Order: sequence, then C-alpha cells, then structure tokens
Amino acid sequence: MPQQSKQDLPKQDGRSFERWFIPVLIIAFCMVAFWLTTTFKTMPPILKRGIQPSDFPQLLLGLLILLTLFMVWKDPIRIKERMQGSTWGTIALFAVFAATTAIDFFLALAIFAVAMAAYWGERRLSLLALVGLVVPGAIFFIFDQVFEIRFPRGLLTNLWYG
Amino acid sequence: MEALLNGLISLTDPYLLLLLLIATIGGVFIGALPGLNATTGAALLLPFTLTMEPMPAIATMTAIYCSATFAGAITAILINTPGTAASATTCLDGYPMAQRGEAGRALGMAVVSSTFGGIFSVLCLMLAAPLLARAAYNFSPPEYFALTLFGLSMLASIGDGSALKNLIAGGLGILIAMIGVDNLTSVERFTFGSYELYEGIGFVPVMIGVFGISELLVQSQQLHIKRETIRMKSVELPGRKDYRKTWRTILRSSGIGTFIGILPAEGATVASMIGYNEAKRWSRNPDEFGKGAIEGVAGSEAANNAATGGAMVPTLALGIPGSATAAVILAGLMVHGLRPGPAMFTEQADFAYAIFWSMMLVNILFLIIGLRGAKIFARVTLIPVQVLWPSVFVFSIVGAYALDQSMFDVWVALGSGVIGYFMRRYGFSVVPLAIGLILGGMLEQRLGQSMVMLDEKWWLMFSRPLTLLFLVLTALALFGPALWGRLVKRRAPLESSGE
Repeated sequence: MPQQSKQDLPKQDGRSFERWFIPVLIIAFCMVAFWLTTTFKTMPPILKRGIQPSDFPQLLLGLLILLTLFMVWKDPIRIKERMQGSTWGTIALFAVFAATTAIDFFLALAIFAVAMAAYWGERRLSLLALVGLVVPGAIFFIFDQVFEIRFPRGLLTNLWYG
Repeated sequence: MEALLNGLISLTDPYLLLLLLIATIGGVFIGALPGLNATTGAALLLPFTLTMEPMPAIATMTAIYCSATFAGAITAILINTPGTAASATTCLDGYPMAQRGEAGRALGMAVVSSTFGGIFSVLCLMLAAPLLARAAYNFSPPEYFALTLFGLSMLASIGDGSALKNLIAGGLGILIAMIGVDNLTSVERFTFGSYELYEGIGFVPVMIGVFGISELLVQSQQLHIKRETIRMKSVELPGRKDYRKTWRTILRSSGIGTFIGILPAEGATVASMIGYNEAKRWSRNPDEFGKGAIEGVAGSEAANNAATGGAMVPTLALGIPGSATAAVILAGLMVHGLRPGPAMFTEQADFAYAIFWSMMLVNILFLIIGLRGAKIFARVTLIPVQVLWPSVFVFSIVGAYALDQSMFDVWVALGSGVIGYFMRRYGFSVVPLAIGLILGGMLEQRLGQSMVMLDEKWWLMFSRPLTLLFLVLTALALFGPALWGRLVKRRAPLESSGE
C-alpha cells in the first residue's frame, strides 16, 4: 500500500499549480456553459412566463465567474496535503468497476470490493470473502427480495433471473 | 390539537415502532463510525425508503439524524475522533475525562444532555413550526423567492469551506439543478440530446456521491492513521453533583442549539461550537475546560442534538433546509411527492406531527440504547476501514441504482463522488452543492413566478416589506461577516492605543 512521507507534502506558499488551475477550470467551465445557454430556445413573450429559459442560468454563471475571480484574489486555493497514491489507485479501481459492469453489475461490485480491501491493505481471506461475497450477496438479496428491485442482466444475474 | 393527537396515535403502529428502533440503532452505529455521519447515513438510506409509505420513510430518516448526531460523542470520548463534525468539541473534554478513567461518566453525561437537548428542541419544533408556517402561509412568489435566496445565502457560512468557496459550490449545485427540461417553459437545457438528462440530475445519486463516495476517497488518504480506543467498564448515569453543576449549561445549550438549528443551513456543528464556548464563558471554572470538564461535554452535546429539532423547523415549515442532513430529508420528502412548506401544516398536519412525535420517541430510545449499548457501539470503531468502506461503496452504488433502476444514476453517483472529493480537497464544501441542487429549481421557479406577478418589473420586489426584509437579511448574511471583521480590525488599534 502506498505510504506518505513528510517530504511529499507540498509547499504552502500559495504558488501551487492548483491555485491558478482550479479557478481557470471553473471560469472555463462557466464560459462554455454560458455559450451553451445562448443556444437555448427563446420563447415568444406570451409564453416566456416571466423569464427566458436562458436568463437565470446566465445570471448564475456570470455570478460564478465573478465569485471565482474574487476567490483568486481573496481566498486562493491552498492544498493541505499531497494526494496519495492510494487515492489515485482507488479512483482507478472505480474505472475498473465501471468497465466490469459490462459483464455483470454484481460481479463488478464484488471484484471492486475485494480489490479495494486488498489494495487498502487487507490480507485476511475471511475478511476479503466477507466484503467480496457476503456483503454484495446480502445487499443483492435484500434489494431483490424485499424491495423487488430488478438489477441489470449479466453473467451472474442471468443465473438468478433465468 | 387534533393533528397533534393523530400524529401521536400513528406511533402506535408496531411496524413503525420497530422501524424506529432499528433506525435508532442503525443511526447510533453510523454516528459511532468515524467518517460516517448523519448526512451520509440519511443519503445512503434514502433509496431504501422509496418502497415505504412517506410517514415511515421520513420518520426513519429523522431517526438516523437524531441518533447519529448523538452517537458522534461515543468515538469523540473514547478515541478522540469525533464520529460526526458536530461532536468535535466533545473531544476537548470528553477524551481527557476518558483518559483519567471517567469514560463512563462522560458518556453518561453525553447521553443525558443529548436527550434533553433533543426533546427540548422537538418541543420547540412543535410550537414554532406551525406558527412559522402560519406566518408564511400568505407568502407570494416574491416573498418565497427572497426567502429561498436568504436560505441560499446562509450557505456561505456552512460546511468546512470558506464563505466564498461555499457560495461557488452552492452556485454549481444550482447550475446542476438547471439541467433538464425547464419547468416554466418546457425548453431543454444542457441535455445534449440525452434522454437520461431530460428529467435532470436526481438529488439522490448526487447526494450518495458527494457524501458517501467522496468520503471513501477522503478515507483513502488516511489509511496510515491508527486509533487507540480507551477501555470503558460501563456507562454511568451522572450523579446529583454532576446535574447540579451542569443543568444550567444543558438548558442554555439546548436553547442555543435550537435557535442555531432554526437558522436556514446552520446545523449541529455550529451549534455545538457556540454551545461549548458559552458553557466555558458562563462556567465558574473555565480553566478546567479542555482538561476534562463535564460541563464541556454537556454544553457541546445538548447543543448539537438540540440543533436537529431546530433544523427541522425551516425544513418542514418553509421548505428551506436547516442543515445538511435536513437537506437530505427535504430531498426525501420531495422524492415521496410531499411538498414541505406552510401547506404541510394544513393539508398534511397529521403527517407533520407524526414526524415530531417520532423524533421525540427517538430521543428517548437513544437514551436507553446509549446507556445500555454504548460499550458495544464503541466496538464498531474496531471494524477495519478495509472492510467498512468497500461495504459502504457497494451499498452506495446499489442505492443509487435502486432509485430509478438506472445505470445512469450509478455513473452520476460515481462522478459526483470523484468531483466531491476534489472539491473537498481544494477547500470547497460539498454541503452547499447539495443544498444548491435542492433549492436551485425552486429559486428559479419562484423568480419566474415573481416576474409574472410583478409584470416583469423586478424592482417592485423592493416595495414589498417582507421581500425587502429577506433581501436585507440576505445581504447581511453575505456581507455582514466581512463588514463586521473590518469594523473590528479598525477598532482594535484604537483600543490598544488606549483611545
């Protein structure tokens, strides 16, 4: 499991990459969204019900851009600690989960749960079996039998649904 | 009066009583686990409640709210890690008490003061919510618009982010609420021709993502932390001497907590901080605070549990969430097709009072469960994170799917979790995002209705006294703290120079 050392901590001088990257990202996002609002249909006066569909989002996006600019000046982004490998690894496992749902939803959940527990440092087989088999199995049966939820068909669920 | 009695009678249903008992135990379990809190618990539970009738569904969520808020004290006292943010101040005196062998006494005081605070606030809720609803019954769209804006302005001061970042996060939440077909004009917005986006992004998967999955990623940063649990023989009820020392504090903190809870968007965390500070300020022995003062535990715990009842006042009476968990409960009410607001106390008064009575019952239940079972619940902290969080993930994903039986909601929950994690990492709280998402649609709708009513002359809003009052309060909530800070800064040098 990845470990963090004190040397990994970033400098706290506020000159970090994120200080500028995050506001730029928010402003760029708002500008793209603003452009999208200009493509919304405009209603004739009799149907517009007080405001046009684009009015409120445009007002909001303008405000968000202003607030973000103000944030750069008054309250810049500061990072408390460097992101650890374990977090990146967990996000990568999310991607693996998303990919394996194509085979079977519950198989993907079971694989993810075992992989995550093992990645986070669990080595006891009994506990890995608990998170990989018992927990998804129990949740499946509760939702299937009690709440009557139908899950997406796949390799394992086909065996159950027939 | 009839509604009050009908509400009480509905609690005689054995199914509901059993559900409340299970939810209370579940809530204590959730609150005792570091990383999980009432908000996450309610968000994860929400999909489970969809197959229930509205009354048991909302009662279950409020039971989780009340009991998880109390249970944060268990880990705060025993392992110096608050189970919920609202119990952070309980650590300050609870843990030193536990270190000197008084864990049982500290927990006993936490249980008693939490119960008192909770019951006090529910009584206030029973009195205040109908009055507030009656006052708001004749509100027109401009008043509602200004009130919703005021509720949103309070976002600036909640969560763990700064005011500016909270407002940005709230704005992003409102923007997400714009996705889908516009309620007023039926025009598609930000749908990109996607069928799934046509009805917008649901609150439930977003909440599961930002509260549950983002916390999982936060926990992945803390795998190296080892917690030491202090052993405890049993939970003791506080003695007469303890009551004599703390009754004023409990009463004061209950009042503070209820008041803070009533303020839109302010929740148990702020209440516990103020409750603790006031306990210290009024104490005969302020020097003992931080070293194991029982008044510290009482002040913090009475206030944070009193805030739960307080937070339900604006949630039910006005449809404005009083806290992050109340926002999830509000989402639950909406998902069940209920419309929180003044009409609830005329059209569904029995339902509203049944919720109040169930909250009262939960407060009594966790007194019993807390005293009898704290020793057992303390052991849940021993569950390895490697087992707990993969299970939470499975639960979150299945919950997100179950709402509409849609894989799209699963991707929304996953995406919201990752975005929520990065927001938290860069200092943006996810609570305003969730509240913005809930109130965003309402805000736009009320603005549109106001514009129709005022013949598109928006400036006429300022000619309506109540609208003006809410707009002034909004301005004060947004700019007041900064102006006050400047005023204090300017006065400080004068005072120090003796002028």
